[in-house]
Parts: sequence; structure tokens; C-alpha cells
Amino acid sequence: MANKLRALLQVIILMLILVQHVDCIWLNLPKSGRKCVTEEIHNNVVVLADYVVISDVHIHPTPSITTKVTSPYGNILHHKENATHGQFAFTTNEAGQYLVCFWADDPNQGGALSVNIDWRTGIAAKDWESVARKEKIEGVELELRKLEAAVEAIHDNLLYLKSREAEIRQVSETTNSRVAWYSILSLGICIAASVAQLWYLTRFFQKKKLI
Amino acid sequence: METTMKAYAFLGLIVLATFAVDVSALSVTVNDVECVYEYVLYEGDTVSGNFVVVDHDIFWSSDHPGIDFIVSSPGGNVVQTMKGTSGEKFEFKAPRSGMYQFCFHNPYSTPETVSFYIHVGHIPNEHDLAKDEHLDPVNVKIAELREALESVTAEQKYLKARDARHRHTNESTHKRVIFYTIAEYILLAVASGLQVVYIRRLFSKSVAYNRV
Repeated sequence: MANKLRALLQVIILMLILVQHVDCIWLNLPKSGRKCVTEEIHNNVVVLADYVVISDVHIHPTPSITTKVTSPYGNILHHKENATHGQFAFTTNEAGQYLVCFWADDPNQGGALSVNIDWRTGIAAKDWESVARKEKIEGVELELRKLEAAVEAIHDNLLYLKSREAEIRQVSETTNSRVAWYSILSLGICIAASVAQLWYLTRFFQKKKLI
Repeated sequence: METTMKAYAFLGLIVLATFAVDVSALSVTVNDVECVYEYVLYEGDTVSGNFVVVDHDIFWSSDHPGIDFIVSSPGGNVVQTMKGTSGEKFEFKAPRSGMYQFCFHNPYSTPETVSFYIHVGHIPNEHDLAKDEHLDPVNVKIAELREALESVTAEQKYLKARDARHRHTNESTHKRVIFYTIAEYILLAVASGLQVVYIRRLFSKSVAYNRV
């Protein structure tokens, strides 16, 4: 009985580990230099990330890395050195490119490193367990609640895309009208320059008594 | 018996939960080759995604030569190849489980920024239903719904990346119109001024006496 339970526990732990790492990407870190990923995030979005370092050639102890997360205006949101795993969470205050960089701490250590990053923003970062506990729902109802949240996120994304398209259209139309105006102005300046030249040269030659 | 049933129910919930996670669209700068890896849990899972080359400042030509995209299975076989493209969607059924490699190759010396999104979707089939007694057919339908919503979200991320690229081109055009037109006016004025100065010099006394 105890053996069965232990085996079960191991399977559950394995599944939990797999759950943590499913649908997250792995990057390979070069020995020297750094690896950076960026994402464009808009304002007021929850970002949750988890990272783990694994050595490809099974070096013990696992080499550590330095991680730095920078906001679009240059503020450092998370900076951790000498770590083999870690996590960070923040809510964005500025819209723009967020940069996450990894450096290998010790370039002399042989072997390639792989970093697993589980990066979630917005709806994917929502803590469903606390929602399930608070509202006492589970199973199919919880899944349907998640689907409903996903549909709302899709709707919000569409509205965001629509507003971006409106901005781009605005810039396009300004450019369009400016091209027309500036070309006509350019023609006007050309004519004005030639008239000014002719006038000046006529006066010059008349003064020189050549005409 | 009770504890094993509870454990299986917990497992079932966790297995369901794994199908709901999602990764955001990240961007990476490709200098020569950049590879991203993703682990596919089950054989037969649908791996879908898209990528867009976002940041490129081509001065003269309007058509970017594009980057190459190669997907390799854990066994080393190439699953998908796309050459010379500046943004595509892809989808394939994973022939086996394991770590898949998604590589971007940049044949040119200018570094490019690529925004990509990869999603691994699993729909429980009859085999999974038979294995886990707490998985009803309704869970299959929910998983299918979730995958459909995922594909809509993936499409939106693709649109967002293409929109970002369009915006970049648009703003560049806007700046070019203003800068080049004003530079044109100044140059025109300077050229006419220089012409007049030159003609004056031609007719000035010191030159004229020597020439005519």
C-alpha cells in the first residue's frame, strides 16, 4: 500500500513538473555573450515568468546565470545573479518593448546551457486555483470559466488591434496629404527660385550695362 | 482505493490544466541562426504557430529577402522548411513526442528581429478517455473548443506582429516625407544661389578682362 502511494506520488510530482514546463520555450545560451528575448506589451498587463537553467552535458553543480528584465524606459524590473532558477512577476506601467536577458556567469565552464522560460502575460498569467477556491467551482465549470476568460481576452485584443489600426490609418492619411502639399510647394519653390534668379540677373546685367 | 481515486481525479484535473497554458509572442534578434526549442508531450499533438520579421530598415528595395525557418523533430528530421519569407503561419502534427527545434536562419549580415509564437495543442482522444476514468467526452469537447479559441488567439498575435511591422514602415515613410522634402527645398535654394554667384563671377571685372 505504502509502495503504491509512493509510486503515485512520484507520478504526480512528475506531472506537476511537466505542467510547469509545458508550452514554455527553451533557449540555448552561448558560453560567452548573452541571449535576449523581447516582447511588446501594453500598459497594465500582468506578466509572470519562471526560468530554469539546465546544463546540456550534465555538469554538477549546474552553472548559474544572471538574469535582467528591463522596461521600455530603462528601469530594471528584476535583476538576479548566480541563480539556476527563479521567477519574477510584475504589472506593466509602460507600454513598449520589455527585454529579458540571460548571461552565463562563468564563461569558462564547458558545455552549453539551456534556459527554460515560462513567460505568461495577461490572461495566461491568471491564477485559476485561487479563483476556483474563492468561488468554489471545479472541473467542467472551471474549464468553462477559463474559456469565457479566453473569449473576453480575444475581444479585448480585437479592440486593441482596431485602435492600433486607427492610429496607423491616421498617420497614413497625414502622410498622404503632406505628400500632395509638399510636392505642390516644391513646384512653387522651384518657380519662385527661377523667377528670383531671372530678376536678379536681369538687374545685374542692366547695372553692368550689358543689356 | 479512495486515495487512488482522488489521486487520479487530481491527475485528471492537472492533465486538463496543462492544455490551457499558453506562451506569449516573444521576439528574438537573429544575427545568423537562432534556435528555440519546445517540448511536445504527446505524439500526434498539433504544433501551430507563426512568426513575423518585425524590424528591418531596408533603404532602397521594398522587398525584404526574408529569413529561413526550419523545424526539426527530436530525431533530427526536418519537419517543416520555409525559405525566404518575412512572416508565415505554420501547423503540423507532431510525429513523435520530444524536444522540437525551431530555427531561424538569417542569410544576410544585418540582424533581424523576429517575433514568433508557438503553441502545442492536445485534444484527448479515445485512448486517453479509456485510460483515465475521470475524463468524460465533455472534456474532449472542451479541449476542442479551447484549441479553436487558441487558434483565434494565435491569429490575433500574428495580426498584431504584422500591424507592428506596418506601423514601423508607416512611421518611417512619414519621417522620410518630411525630412527629404525639407532637404530638397534647402538644396534647391542653395543650388539657385550658387548658380547666381557663379554667373556673377563669370561677369566680374577681374575675370572678364582676362577672358574677353
